[in-house]
Amino acid sequence: MAIVRLEIPPRSAYVGVVRLALSSLARAAGLDEEKVDDIKIAVSEACANAVLNNEEAGSDDPVVISWDETEDAVHIEVADRGASLDPDALDEVDTQGFSTRAVMSIALLKSLVDDCGFEAREGGGTTTRLLIHR
Amino acid sequence: MELGLDVSKVGSHAVVDVKGEIDVYTAPKLREKLIELVSEGSYDVVVNLEGVDFLDSTGLGVLVGALKRVKAHEGSLALVCTQDKILKIFKITGLTKVFPIHDTVDAATGAA
Repeated sequence: MAIVRLEIPPRSAYVGVVRLALSSLARAAGLDEEKVDDIKIAVSEACANAVLNNEEAGSDDPVVISWDETEDAVHIEVADRGASLDPDALDEVDTQGFSTRAVMSIALLKSLVDDCGFEAREGGGTTTRLLIHR
Repeated sequence: MELGLDVSKVGSHAVVDVKGEIDVYTAPKLREKLIELVSEGSYDVVVNLEGVDFLDSTGLGVLVGALKRVKAHEGSLALVCTQDKILKIFKITGLTKVFPIHDTVDAATGAA
């Protein structure tokens, strides 16, 4: 089955390129349009988080995206070299009680894919893993 | 990737018609426009999302920021959206309870 690996500079301008590429891969893999839309959002969230993480850490290392299809599922990984994810930040609200962008992003990721996980990378950074059943 | 932003006046409301994709790259342009409107004294704002193909958490963050700005002036921020794929984003994040979401600009500006 197809394995695709993309590397982008850690800049927001490239997130749309990844979205386009992975939505094409999802269609080619035979996923229905609703799943394609969910993948577009989830991948954009993961890539936006990665780009912002790299920016915050002052890292110019690329963001690495991989796509792996199996008979039953699609596995997507997005890896950055930013600050590791802070689990305490996942319940953050601002002074007026609104959820922060990061909290909304995690809520979208968890809701739109079948499984979503975050792992610290050796050498610094975070890998976001997304699993979508066919 | 371009984000189209057209502003018009409907009664006392400033209506922003947004076209394109709102993501981490384009959202700052929308943020700047909404800040500009509030700084010019437009405190009742309608954002029309009918021409939006894609919206992520960065776009949601911009809309929440604009809501806080207009509320500071006792104003309002309403949205126009009938697309299921965009409404889904608001539902997942609980923002359907925060923003009034209407089917048409007329309904959002109270003209309907």
